[in-house]
Amino acid sequence: MNDSILIVGGGPAGLAAAHALARVGRRSVLVDKADRLGGAPILSGYAKLVPSGEWAKDAIGGMVERVRGDSRVEVHTGTTVRAFDGSPGDFTAQLSDGATVRAGAAILATGFTHFDSLNKPEWGFGTFPDVVTTTQVEQMISSGRGVHCPSDGRKPQRVAILLCVGSRDRQIGREWCSKICCTVSANLAMEIREELPDCHVYIYYMDIRTFGLYETKYYWRSQEEFKIKYIKARIAEVTSDGQKLIVKGEDTLVKRPVTIPFDLVVHAIGMDPNVDNQTIASTFGVALEPHGYLARRNAYGNMAETSRAGVFVAGAASGPETIDDSIGQGHAAALTALGSLGAEKASA
Amino acid sequence: MPIHEKDLIRPENLRTHEQLTVDGVDVSGHWSTFIQSRVVTDYNEALEDEIAALPGGEFIHRCWQCGSCTNACTVNAVNPDFNPRFWIYLVRIGMEAELLRDKDIVWQCVSCNKCTHICPRDVNPEGVMKAISHWLELKGHTPKSPSMVFDEVFSDQVIRHGKIEDGRTIRRFFARTGQALQQDWLIEMAKRLARHLPIGLLARLGFSAAIAPRTRGWSRARAAIEDYVKDQQATQRRALGLDGPGGPPTTREGA
Ligand code: SF4
Ligand code: SF4
Repeated sequence: MNDSILIVGGGPAGLAAAHALARVGRRSVLVDKADRLGGAPILSGYAKLVPSGEWAKDAIGGMVERVRGDSRVEVHTGTTVRAFDGSPGDFTAQLSDGATVRAGAAILATGFTHFDSLNKPEWGFGTFPDVVTTTQVEQMISSGRGVHCPSDGRKPQRVAILLCVGSRDRQIGREWCSKICCTVSANLAMEIREELPDCHVYIYYMDIRTFGLYETKYYWRSQEEFKIKYIKARIAEVTSDGQKLIVKGEDTLVKRPVTIPFDLVVHAIGMDPNVDNQTIASTFGVALEPHGYLARRNAYGNMAETSRAGVFVAGAASGPETIDDSIGQGHAAALTALGSLGAEKASA
Repeated sequence: MPIHEKDLIRPENLRTHEQLTVDGVDVSGHWSTFIQSRVVTDYNEALEDEIAALPGGEFIHRCWQCGSCTNACTVNAVNPDFNPRFWIYLVRIGMEAELLRDKDIVWQCVSCNKCTHICPRDVNPEGVMKAISHWLELKGHTPKSPSMVFDEVFSDQVIRHGKIEDGRTIRRFFARTGQALQQDWLIEMAKRLARHLPIGLLARLGFSAAIAPRTRGWSRARAAIEDYVKDQQATQRRALGLDGPGGPPTTREGA
């Protein structure tokens, strides 16, 4: 019987789980393959987060510091789990840094991988320097450099944001909705208009899915206060006339083909299953669901269970997820993991 | 099965060459029919701001294209080409050439405001219809609509006299829209009024028609209103990038 809990992944979900366990006096071992904690919001340099508007480096950075400063959390960065054996209440993990960790349970908070826009060559990423991703625009803002065209550094006067890049697309085997890109794009569009009030921002969409309370704060506000223009069109291709990017598609509301010049085209990239999910699944002996995310065993009875007893999952590891819900799931996984140890104890 | 795309072809975009040979094959006349591209190649970003600068157009940017307005519209029920949702979109996105294709029907709005009451985003589509009609007139795309002329005759009287005299309003409206004053329905209405209205009221009507009384002390109010109107018109013309101070000329005949 081992009371410690192994947490794999130091993003919002993993950080939340480690903090929750520490709060109830439980030890945990937090392992992350990157050389820093914080997960996607920190590693990818996100700017202001949905929905609080706090800077990622403050909000998620704060979670990192809290965990770093807690003696009950043992942190291994730049480290992966090589092998994982045992049974609930008594697992042993071999880490790539040579350490052996004994844990009563494990939480997989291994997150997602950003869609690589090179897989949609017709939309110009990799061909034209002024075709960028939402992540790159986040970095332009968070670095203080400001929104600009990478080709020559000029400030764009007209920006197109293409939604569902790497989402809802059977052509490239990605049927899921990445859930948060509509809201993130509306947020970015407003940030662009805030920085460059003379720049017009157009969002090309198939549907707008700013779910729940995000409707007012992002979809409505982006139109009512920031005059963002939403155009119902799935873009066919992005080319260039040598000076401007040319966005081609059909404006379905007027049944007319359009070929419109833009300075900057932004791909609202989706969330892929973590590229390492096959390895993670075989190392930990857990099943993947059909899209390639870690499968949850049940939706209602006990949160966070995977196909293997004693191994739990939280956050975007099991499907596209928001940061705040990932944090909630980190707490839930911590509680379910604790409960499982309690059960072992009681029956022992 | 009818081919839907066929209704997208516009007769003015069909090109036929009387004499044409392509790669040695004679494709003269009917065989050389081409359809000119109908691609939209740019957005006019000023259009939305211009409409928004005119009274009624202020909230156009809220529209999310649900179509409730068109669905509720009185005029759309009899003329499917009258489509407020569609025009609002063209303005928002800046498709000016498309909008101009419908310039002769926008004014048909009867201001019933069914659209306004159903719109989930408080766009005030009825106001937008007014703003678009107004824009078309100011930009010289359409002549003044009869309803615009009526509004002008009406408000001109109020501004001049602080009062309305119906007979004069009707006479001027007819004169300015080139209609005969002797209209059967009007004569019939006058006859019946004479038969059924109390003598006192008739006398007052006759007196007003002959004397055209003003509201007492009106001249200061009139000056203030005229200043305000001039100011508004100048602002609107500026917003539309038009030179000169005037708006549409208001009626000035008679006094
Ligand atoms: S006010 Fe005009 S646009 Fe609105 S429903 Fe009535 S006729 Fe249609
Ligand atoms: S009802 Fe309102 S929101 Fe809907 S299409 Fe008409 S104007 Fe736009």
